[in-house]
Amino acid sequence: MSDTPIIPPEDDDLLAAEVALGLLEGEDRAAARARLLQDRAFARNVADWQERFVAMTDDIAPVPPPAKARKALLSRLFPTRRVSLMQRLWLWQGVSVAALATVAFLALPMLREAPTELPGDVYATRMAAEDSALEMLAVMDMSRGDIALRRVSGNAPEGRVLELWAILPDRAPISLGVLPEGDVTRVALPADLAAEAAQITLAITDEPPGGAPDGSPTGGIMALGAVAEL
Amino acid sequence: MNSDREEIERLIAQVALGDRAAFETLYDRVSAKLFGVCLRVLETRATAEDAMQDSFVKIWNNSDRYQANGLSPMTWLITIARNTAIDRLRATRKGHQDIDTPGLELAAPGPNPEQSAVAASEAKRLTGCLDSLEADRGAAVRGAYLDGDSYADLAQRFNVPLNTMRTWLRRGLLSLRECMSA
Repeated sequence: MSDTPIIPPEDDDLLAAEVALGLLEGEDRAAARARLLQDRAFARNVADWQERFVAMTDDIAPVPPPAKARKALLSRLFPTRRVSLMQRLWLWQGVSVAALATVAFLALPMLREAPTELPGDVYATRMAAEDSALEMLAVMDMSRGDIALRRVSGNAPEGRVLELWAILPDRAPISLGVLPEGDVTRVALPADLAAEAAQITLAITDEPPGGAPDGSPTGGIMALGAVAEL
Repeated sequence: MNSDREEIERLIAQVALGDRAAFETLYDRVSAKLFGVCLRVLETRATAEDAMQDSFVKIWNNSDRYQANGLSPMTWLITIARNTAIDRLRATRKGHQDIDTPGLELAAPGPNPEQSAVAASEAKRLTGCLDSLEADRGAAVRGAYLDGDSYADLAQRFNVPLNTMRTWLRRGLLSLRECMSA
C-alpha cells in the first residue's frame, strides 16, 4: 500500500465517525458498542458526528407519507382504537351506504349504554347467500360479548326456524342459538370465541323447530358472512 | 428556527410522558421529512413506509432517553430514520448488525450531557466541505451515510483493497472535520 498511515488507527474521533456512519463490523463494532455505554466523551464524539452528517439530509425534500401509514402506525402503537364507534362504522367498507344506517341503528345501544367508556373491538358483517332472500346485518361487540342482528330481508321457510352458527377454521360449526322472530335481536357470543373473533364467519341455516337436533347444522345455508373489524 | 427547535423538543418531552396527542402532533410535524429520508435510502415506497413506521415506534419507545444524548431534536429524529432505513437495507445481507444510535439503545449513564458542541452553522458547512474533498472521498462518505455502503461495498465500488479504502475514508473524515470547524 502506498498510503502512509498518518492517522493513528486508534484515533478516537475517527472511530466515532465510523460508528456514526455504521461502518464498523465484528469485533470493532462490539468494542465501540461497549464504549458507547461507558464512555460519555466517546458517545459525545459520535453525537457530534451525527450532528455533522445529518446535514447530508438537508437537500432531501420532505415527502408526505400516505394517510394509511399514519393510521397503521397509530393502531400498531395504540391497539385500543381512539376513534369512536360511529367513526368506525362510517369507515367500514363492508356494506352499502343504505345498510350503514341500519348498522348504526344496531350500534346505538352500545353507544348509549357505556357512554364514558371507549368501545372495544367491533366486528361486523352483511350475511347473505345465493338462492336465498334472507339478508342480515350483524355487529359483534366484543366489549359486550354479544352479536346484534338485524334482518334486512327474507324469512325462515314455512315450518322452519333460523339458527345462527359461528364458523371457525378447523372446527365444527358452533351453534349460537335459534333466532327469535322479529327484525332485531341480540345473541350472546360465547366467551371462548372472543380470542378468535376476527376469524369468525357467521352463518344462518334453516332448521326444524327447536333448532338442529344434535348440535350440527342440518339445513341449507340461508345467509353467510365473514366478519370484518370496524 | 429556534422556536421550531423548541417546539419539537417540547413535543418529544411530552411524548416521553406518554402523551399520545403530542406524538400525533410530532408525527404531523416531522413525518414528511423522515419519510423523505427513508425514501432516499430505500427507494421503494413500501419499504420506506415500513422504515418510517419503525422509526416512529422507536421514537415513541425511546423519547424518555432523548435528553440523554445531547443531539438537537431534528438530528435525533432524522438519525433514527436514517439508521432504521439503512438497517432495513442491509438486513438482507449476511451477518448484518443494526447501527447503534446513541440515546436510543445505547446511552452512557450520568446526568444530562451538554448539548453537542457542533453548532448548526458548522453542520451547514458539511456539504461544501464534502464537495471540497477529493471527489472519491466525498462520494465515499456520502455512500456510507446515504446508501449504507460498508467498507467492503466501498472498496468494490472504488476498486481498491479494503484497508486502503478504510485509510482513504478516514483521511476524508479528517479533512472534513478540519474544513467544517475552520
